[in-house]
Amino acid sequence: MRKILLVLAGMLLVAHSLLAQTTHTVKGKVTDDNSNGLPGVSVSVPGGKSGTVTDGKGEFSFSVPDNTKSLKVSFIGYESKTVVIQGNDAGTIVLLADSKAISEVVVVGYGTQRKKDVTGSIVSVKGGAIAELPVQSFEAGLGGRAAGVQITVPNGIVNNPPVFRIRGSNSISMSAYPLIVIDGVPAFSGDVGATISNSPLNPLASINPADIASIDIAKDAAATAIYGSRAANGVVFVTTKKGKAGRPRVAYDGWVGTTKPTRLPEVLNSAQFLEIKNEALKNAGSTDRYVLNEDANGKPIDTKWMDVVYRDQTVSQNHNVNVSGGTESTSYYFSAGYTKQQGILKRNDFARKSLLFSIDQQLGKAFSIGSRMSYSNEQSLISGSSGSLEGEAFNSGGLARLAFLTSPLVSPYNNDGSYNLSGSGMSGGKNTLPVAIYNPQVLLDKDHSNTEASHIQGNVYLQLKPTDWITLKTQYGVDYILMNNDIYLNNLSGDGVSSNGDVMSIYTQNKRWVWSNTLQLDRSFGKHNLSLLGGFEQQRDSRERYGLRRQKQMDNYFNNSEGGWLTDLSRYLLRRENYLLSAFSRLNYNYNEKYFISANVRQDQYSAFGPNYKKGLFYGFSAGWEITKESFWTNAGLDHVFSSFKIRASHGKVGNFAGLGDYDALSLYKPSPYGGNPSIYFNQAGNPDLNWETSKKTDIGFTYGLLNNRISGEFSYYYNDINGLILFVPQMPSAGIPITNINATIATIPTNVGSMYNKGVEFSVNAVAVDKANFSWNVGFNIAYNKNQITSLAGDITTIPFVTSSLEQTSVNKVGHPASMLYVVRTDGVDPATGRRIFINANGDRVFFNNADAVKYKYEDGKTAPTVGVKDAVAYKNTNPKFLGGLENTFRYKAFELNVLLTYQTGFYVYYGSNAGLRDQRYWNNSTDVLNRWQKASDQTDMPRVVYGDNISNGSSFAIAANVFKGDFVKLNTVGLSYTVPEKAAKAIRLQGARVYVRGQNLALITKYPGPDPEVSSNGNNASGQGVDRNTIGNGRTLTVGLNVNF
Amino acid sequence: MKKYCVSILAFGIIGLAACQKGLLDPVPSTDIPDFKAFETKERIASQANGLYSVMKHGKFLGGKFAIANEVRGEDFVNEKANNVTLNATWRMVPTGETQEVKEVWSQGYATINNVNVFLSGMNAVGNKVVGDSIAKIYAAEAKFVRGVSYFSLLQLYARPHWDGAGAKPGLILHWEAHTKIGNYARARSTVNDTYAQIIRDLDSAETILPKPAAGSLSAVTHANAYSAIAYKTRVYLYLEQYDKVIAEAAKLVSAGAPFVSPGGHALEPDVQKVFTAPYITKESIFSLPFTGSTDDFPQTQTQLGYYFTPSAAPYTGNGEYSMHPNGVIADASWKVDTDARRKFILKSGTKNYWIKFPTPSPFTDYIPVIRYAEVLLNLAEARVRQTNSVDITAVALLSAVRHRSDATITYTPADFPTVAALLSAIAQEKHIELLGEGFRSMEITRLGLSFPSKSSTVPVIAPTASQYIWPVSSDELIYNKLCVDN
Repeated sequence: MRKILLVLAGMLLVAHSLLAQTTHTVKGKVTDDNSNGLPGVSVSVPGGKSGTVTDGKGEFSFSVPDNTKSLKVSFIGYESKTVVIQGNDAGTIVLLADSKAISEVVVVGYGTQRKKDVTGSIVSVKGGAIAELPVQSFEAGLGGRAAGVQITVPNGIVNNPPVFRIRGSNSISMSAYPLIVIDGVPAFSGDVGATISNSPLNPLASINPADIASIDIAKDAAATAIYGSRAANGVVFVTTKKGKAGRPRVAYDGWVGTTKPTRLPEVLNSAQFLEIKNEALKNAGSTDRYVLNEDANGKPIDTKWMDVVYRDQTVSQNHNVNVSGGTESTSYYFSAGYTKQQGILKRNDFARKSLLFSIDQQLGKAFSIGSRMSYSNEQSLISGSSGSLEGEAFNSGGLARLAFLTSPLVSPYNNDGSYNLSGSGMSGGKNTLPVAIYNPQVLLDKDHSNTEASHIQGNVYLQLKPTDWITLKTQYGVDYILMNNDIYLNNLSGDGVSSNGDVMSIYTQNKRWVWSNTLQLDRSFGKHNLSLLGGFEQQRDSRERYGLRRQKQMDNYFNNSEGGWLTDLSRYLLRRENYLLSAFSRLNYNYNEKYFISANVRQDQYSAFGPNYKKGLFYGFSAGWEITKESFWTNAGLDHVFSSFKIRASHGKVGNFAGLGDYDALSLYKPSPYGGNPSIYFNQAGNPDLNWETSKKTDIGFTYGLLNNRISGEFSYYYNDINGLILFVPQMPSAGIPITNINATIATIPTNVGSMYNKGVEFSVNAVAVDKANFSWNVGFNIAYNKNQITSLAGDITTIPFVTSSLEQTSVNKVGHPASMLYVVRTDGVDPATGRRIFINANGDRVFFNNADAVKYKYEDGKTAPTVGVKDAVAYKNTNPKFLGGLENTFRYKAFELNVLLTYQTGFYVYYGSNAGLRDQRYWNNSTDVLNRWQKASDQTDMPRVVYGDNISNGSSFAIAANVFKGDFVKLNTVGLSYTVPEKAAKAIRLQGARVYVRGQNLALITKYPGPDPEVSSNGNNASGQGVDRNTIGNGRTLTVGLNVNF
Repeated sequence: MKKYCVSILAFGIIGLAACQKGLLDPVPSTDIPDFKAFETKERIASQANGLYSVMKHGKFLGGKFAIANEVRGEDFVNEKANNVTLNATWRMVPTGETQEVKEVWSQGYATINNVNVFLSGMNAVGNKVVGDSIAKIYAAEAKFVRGVSYFSLLQLYARPHWDGAGAKPGLILHWEAHTKIGNYARARSTVNDTYAQIIRDLDSAETILPKPAAGSLSAVTHANAYSAIAYKTRVYLYLEQYDKVIAEAAKLVSAGAPFVSPGGHALEPDVQKVFTAPYITKESIFSLPFTGSTDDFPQTQTQLGYYFTPSAAPYTGNGEYSMHPNGVIADASWKVDTDARRKFILKSGTKNYWIKFPTPSPFTDYIPVIRYAEVLLNLAEARVRQTNSVDITAVALLSAVRHRSDATITYTPADFPTVAALLSAIAQEKHIELLGEGFRSMEITRLGLSFPSKSSTVPVIAPTASQYIWPVSSDELIYNKLCVDN
């Protein structure tokens, strides 16, 4: 009753003041932090009707009720402010740009949320952290910057997507790549170029990293559930830059740089080659001998094939200009970028031209419209197979392997200067024994395998805000990739010889539209703060591809499909579509910013699922408790230490289907001619019960701020229980189920059967260690531990091997182990008495191998042993890093800033498959390790006696444990030193500001791994074949010099 | 707020009305879904052709089956030491994981299951669409394809019939259509049971299929009664049932020279014509056709021409295998100057290459599965073995094949002092006549010979050795626990 009386009294007071209102004039000025007057700023009386906007100089003057105690000042792109006024002069009011606001806000899907209100697990990376890195796409720069985020750049080929994992690998057969949402539109990701050509194309590389304002990485169910059936791998929200009100700002950023190959294996020179191979021939009982060839000057030929294939000094450059600005009702951002980056493999380049335009316009009081459109043209250029991309490891023309296996006894050229050619390969000169697969020089000179894409991404929206607390929004977005592959295989050496030249032009279009309609209600009732979101969304993808393949060139002049050829064929035809129809809702509630709860629900219906399972419901719930707001906390004086301490917990169910074929649920007959007549046959066994993979995620953690947030960070424990994994369940071949995928070696049917979990902890800390006027030191450190384990596969099937590039069984998914274990035959070194390789077969017996013996496999006692092979492989070592993270130090001294980022991953192993080739005793050249081979009794070495033709002892025939190494590493990922030109000096040359910087990428590596780089993946993002280094190009070391100016 | 009511309503309507539920059930426009596969006569006719399309895949009878049979034998030298191009098979050391061992096994069974899926779909729907008379013919063609597939697999993956009189493990036999996930584990039948199934399929094909005149495209590229009979002469020979060989051959071979069939089959005067476009000869009984159209030629690294022809113009092979100097080309009785079949040998540099399938990329030469010359030699051998004598008809049959290519030779019984000499001559003739067509390994195992040594590292393989036949695909052993390895 007392309350009611109070309310009534209050109402009367209000009524009185309204009735008895008298006014006076208030004036003042609004400026930015550089004391520049801001025109068009809205100034109003809070809760009242009177208001105005500032004039051209930022000044204002208007009449206010006498009892006005404060003014509200707001401007797009700036933090709103309420200032207390006394008298008639409000003085100068300084508005701060909302850059701070950005850091305080996180993107949560169909909206944003204040960071302190967030109860899900979201980590933000500012655009500035990756803007100037010499990477092709932003995600390649995320490694080490966020806890639980694993980025592995799989090889040194430019523009291939990194392996991207959030909290471990959450799928086995589907994609484990997070969902990437760019300004509200889910984007294409993965490699869309190398399906056909040898040049990868990462669709995310179309975003100029310099245009990115922020990247928010959602990890738990609460943060991701709003994306329902696609959220299991985490969701990454990319927000591009927008304009700020004020005069136009023009900025330029550019860098030039160079990359060098590092840690290449050292191979034999021609004298050493003779020594080893002739010894091997002798040991094999052969009378043949390798001999030296002479060059035109009569000197022995000793070709360094590494120099033929690798580029020692690349040149890369990047330029970016942006213009932004706006008024109270309009803001715009326009940018243009150009980059051209050379890879360490010769002829491997990436070039991008990009344009971005975004505009937001207020229409009257309630409506606003806006658009963001980006166009980019990307070119991924390469001569042909590098051997590095998924499926390429054993390509005959794979240049990484040709660089080390081609014999130094031969030169790419004959002594008369013409190419050294013989068949599709090379002549051995005086040697009749083989010396090469192909002539790498010819491949590099003549071939091309390029991908060019025009990528259009954009959206338009219309928003209606009839009152403060209701927002209706409709947004239509598109993501179009129009791509052309231009491929030529020459007719002199390589795969194109047998068809007398082979050329292809393939056009692909990936088209997506997304239409989202949302209603958002935000309201506070006293201390109760409520926010409710509801929406519908449709997403439609259609893909079409056609290609022309022509063979038998009429003249060596021609090298594109439009030239003169005798044979016409079609190639790579495809037409597919899918549709996703969704409804979703989110409720956020907090009481006094102390207790928080949120709920997310999404229903998805997806066309690719089986007829019985089109529809799924996903959800995420979370709660948070900001303890520092409790009186007992302040009473205990803990608030002097902890400026914030929020405990949070979440649980939910999300799904994954990325990578599922649009028609995988259907049984299909394929058309294929039979001797010129029509024919169709059963080619795909579908699964009508196919549906999404389910991830039940639980997350408990806290965020903390100490000493007025000078030290802040986060701790999380998570458990992700994954069920219904879609496995391509291998079918026993005798069942005769057709092999639909022409690259597969066994027929499979996608089925929701497997289960797996990931659990782990993450910890991060950011601290301002020193904060003096001239010197500051910031430290950021994060560490994540993850344990992955498969708990079931397909019923009786508890082991599913994985074959790298359709040829070598390297990995296995096995119940009771982490996904993607290395699956190799164990070895026990080299027998010191005889120099034979010792294998350990499936029974655990030691088997000695001698390729020169009629009975090649024997037990120690000399008895014949069964042939050792892939069947003796065991799930040998784990390839998932147990610990990973980064340590970032930023030092500022006056105008200088030094930033050092170390990244590390530990607790995993890598199969160095290239080593099998580097020690192969066929005609292949070898690494200098081979000089240390066994030669006489009691020699202690890891390199067996060399026997010509032996491709078994060192692991070429089947993967062996001797080529498995610890991958643990610490990498000096980036070092950047920048100098900001003093304001006075900058102004003197009519610049607002200028900064120069030097940056090094991948500068140093501490690891026991013997290959070029333990951050490697021959199988790309494939979650079942990680930790394999088979004939790949390693990562280079990059140095750049850059300049950043504001006009 | 009121003035925005219409706008709010509009937002709501747009949001709800735009969804297109029909898009949730798409069917591909490029492949035909199973529920539409038996809808029309034309489509079912395409399926009947599809039975052969699966069989002619480069991983089976369109390539690797023949290549494997050749390189296991003694006639070729592996030039590239490349495991993808059957180096392990050539060296006689393949394991169950070896690519070709897995591919031939799986493509063979894919061919068989495709037949079973077709037969089951026809029973369910298709027979009504095409009518009984056509349905019967399609079913018989399907059985021919299944019989040929089982026979071909049996030669590589099972011990020959003479070993244990067919009691050794044969193939896994399936008759049901497998179209979805399920447990299809089944143990291997015996060699005899497998042969019984093959004979059932071929008998059924012979009974139902028509007897078209020899030498037309459809007579050569589709099964008919003659092709079933011809194939049975081979099957019974491998089953060591020589009386049956004679009985079957009697339906196809006239009593005396010139040997012709009731359908007009006969030896083509010029053997090279059999291997030259348009490949439709009276000698061709059943061949797998190829054209230069997309998907109508064998896949990369499965083409006979790619393996055996050199890269020197006009050939576009990869010279994966040259001819072994100690192979059958060393036989002096195969005359260098007069035998037309020597024209299939090309000297390139210091090496000889086999150019029976010479057409350059995309390698569209038809691959004969069975031709009349083989039937004559099958009959010749069976007659000798059945009568255990220097059979005069057998000599005439042998002579017909030799004389066709080498006019300087006409055999008479006097040329063969013993039965063994005649058998050996027939075997050698078959070796020469069918060289490159994928017979050598299965002839060696049928006859119980040892595989000769091919180099210092490829020793003799005795009939008792485990490498005498291929191991079973490792995939089968992993996923089918009822299957035993060789």
